[in-house]
Amino acid sequence: MSEGSAAPLLQLRGVVKKFDDKVALDRVDLIVERGEVHVICGENGAGKSTLMNILAGILKPDSGEIILDGVPVGFADPLAASRAGIGMVHQHFKLIPSMTVAENLYLNRQPRRWGFLADRDAMRKDAAALIARYHFDLDPDARIARLSVGQRQRVEILKALGFDARILILDEPTAVLTPPEVEELLGVIAGLKARGRTILFITHKLREVKAASDRVTVLRHGRRISTRPTAGLSEAAIARDMVGRDMRPPKRGEALRDQRRGAAVLQVSGLAMTTAAGRRLLDRVDIEIHPGEIVGIAGVDGNGQTELSEAIAGLVPVQAGSIRLAGADMTRASPQRRRALGLSFIPEDRLDRGLSATMTIAENAAASNYRLKRLIGPAGLIRSAARDAFALEKIGQYDIRGAKPALPVGQLSGGNMQKVVIAREMEKEPAALIVAQPTRGLDVGAAEFVHAQILAAADRGCAVLLISSELAEIFALADRIAVMFRGRLLKVLDRAAASEETVGLLMNGAELEAA
Amino acid sequence: MTGETKRLARAIAGPVAIVAAVLAGGFVLVLIISSDPVTAYRDLLFANFYSRSNFALFVNRTMPLLLIGLGVVFSFRAGVFNVGGEGQLYFGAMAAAAAALALPSAPFPLGALASIGAAIAAGALWGWIPGVLKVRLDVNEVVSTLMLNFIALLTTEYLVTNPLRDQTAYGAVSFVIPRGAWIPEIPGLPGATSGAVVAVLIAPLAWLALFRTEWGANLRAAGSNMRFAEAVGVDAGKQIIIAMLISGGLSGLAGAFYVLGIGHRFEQNFSPAFGLIGLTVALLARLHPIGVLATATFYALVLNGAAYMQIDTDVPRSIVGLLTGFLVLFMTARPRRGLIAV
Repeated sequence: MSEGSAAPLLQLRGVVKKFDDKVALDRVDLIVERGEVHVICGENGAGKSTLMNILAGILKPDSGEIILDGVPVGFADPLAASRAGIGMVHQHFKLIPSMTVAENLYLNRQPRRWGFLADRDAMRKDAAALIARYHFDLDPDARIARLSVGQRQRVEILKALGFDARILILDEPTAVLTPPEVEELLGVIAGLKARGRTILFITHKLREVKAASDRVTVLRHGRRISTRPTAGLSEAAIARDMVGRDMRPPKRGEALRDQRRGAAVLQVSGLAMTTAAGRRLLDRVDIEIHPGEIVGIAGVDGNGQTELSEAIAGLVPVQAGSIRLAGADMTRASPQRRRALGLSFIPEDRLDRGLSATMTIAENAAASNYRLKRLIGPAGLIRSAARDAFALEKIGQYDIRGAKPALPVGQLSGGNMQKVVIAREMEKEPAALIVAQPTRGLDVGAAEFVHAQILAAADRGCAVLLISSELAEIFALADRIAVMFRGRLLKVLDRAAASEETVGLLMNGAELEAA
Repeated sequence: MTGETKRLARAIAGPVAIVAAVLAGGFVLVLIISSDPVTAYRDLLFANFYSRSNFALFVNRTMPLLLIGLGVVFSFRAGVFNVGGEGQLYFGAMAAAAAALALPSAPFPLGALASIGAAIAAGALWGWIPGVLKVRLDVNEVVSTLMLNFIALLTTEYLVTNPLRDQTAYGAVSFVIPRGAWIPEIPGLPGATSGAVVAVLIAPLAWLALFRTEWGANLRAAGSNMRFAEAVGVDAGKQIIIAMLISGGLSGLAGAFYVLGIGHRFEQNFSPAFGLIGLTVALLARLHPIGVLATATFYALVLNGAAYMQIDTDVPRSIVGLLTGFLVLFMTARPRRGLIAV
């Protein structure tokens, strides 16, 4: 910046934040210029959210300065930060589902009539005006519970803007969105920028960094590593700053690749599932997976992938069709029986089906592995020392950071939680593996590790069904690629024959319309 | 190992400090309303130890609270909010009395064992019904267990005022049960039922079962995240039903010990809401079996102590309601920590 020009909109100097003895932020300096889109990226636990929470007045720094418009400021609480013009959209929305869009927008600051009655008409009019000003597609009278995730996010953004935010902080805004919704969000961000808003965007997805930003700041282990203009910066360079080393693209043991074949391990044929209301969730799905093969299922979320994975795992009943595991009919077998025959399941949502957040890491890792790992003593009692040793072994082997056997698993970060799930499911050396959205919410380093584990399983001869809405992941791992659309499995393509374009078109139902 | 002890010390320090603070606050209150606050408080805390007979009453009061509390731990750990302890207790007590009266000539261990078996079965049945309703038909267990309490209370009331009523006795009580069904007193402690000893022994067993067996881990998995439990191959519905059988069975056992070891007959109003207090006891112990041992003892201590206090001084026993109310408030309230996100 040249001498004499106006002070930057926001400047951080030497910000330090510690939690107990853990340093979350270590003397971080940051300059945010007026009207830019500035991405903050870094791995899970790098300090991104801590930094943003300090800016939003949720946390107080231990030392260091926040300078807004050239004036040092300190925020007592989030309200003070929003009065100063800093609005935050949290990753987990803070909306009241039973209330309407307008009510949520004006929560606790509704226009009043005669000083005490809520003036609902004025509120609705103001809400409609606010929505119109930013060209958002929202109905002020719709209840939040009926909105899609992307729409809810727009309500959150409006809520922040409603306080006249000059700086809008978006914390991992794309983590919960489907690919088309991500596109829309990026459009929204561009629109806000055009209106002169300054945007701080937290993400660990490299593509979004490239697509959305003017400048990018990388944090690692609580330190600022770099701040650079995005133009001309390669994804690899950002990734290197994030993890502190070069990334290794996942690779399979090529020697084994040709050995795979032999009888199919997992055979799904004519699988069908319908809701009570008659909506088709699965429509005559056929898949065959051979030993050592990874079949990737691409598709926009909500096209039956969840139902397919849970049907194969035995968690939901099917109306028609059959599931065979190593030749044996499993269509009506219990989940226990399927596991006993060598099926492992890594569910799409680790906190829903993958883990029990309040139970310890040791117990989560040991679940379903007690017999296999001989963790039960002669009297039928758990050998707790052996169980904890098993957990320690996995913590070391999978580099699960911040983990101790007796710690509730819910206290880990998302990526480390996912590693606990994977450690548990891989321990059985499964013959067939169902893995859904394995790297959702994971940073590049953790995702690389997870990919390596999946490939290693396939190299051992495991038949892998990989379900993912990230095309890059499918293309990096799968031998054959299928696309799910409205409960149907469209075309199974050989990887060599598939391009991201054709698969992307299929994901939006291109084949159906052509037919 | 030192880490373990440190964690234990930390877990215990808080509750102990809260109990001390509540007792201290209660003393200030007693100071204001009473002319003899020291006697009042001494009675409240120590009268249970003045004589063997006082201590025996304290032991008898602890027994049902402990068993029902442990039962609640099992059901809540499995994710079932079983508030039907009272009904399960009454059904168990009635089954024990009825079985004993039906077998008038059974010799000692057999008569008692048959009665205990009948009581456990009756209590377990009263736990099984809401368990199955929840698993099969998704019936909310709070509603079903609460409603089953009324059925149990009214059914036993009918039985004790009609077919089983001892006309020669005052009040709604059954005939005295035959000697062969009586369970012995604790040696050297006349009047105290040995059932209390059994209850105390069950506490560590419950801890072992819940925290040191795969079965217990599965039960807690079903309780803390049913969808997770299913995914790792646990039959969550079965775990819930088993937990309810145990929960009801333990309450039924408390009823049996009361009838066979304390009252020696079924008395219509034998329970001062043991079921409700047992629930409180378990929640205060944060659903930990060993913690229940401590909280059940404490509750029995102040409940009985308050009676002596009321006799000796001008302080009403209802002050205990106030103290325990504060205790529940402070034990269950937790300071909300600021958002910590890294």
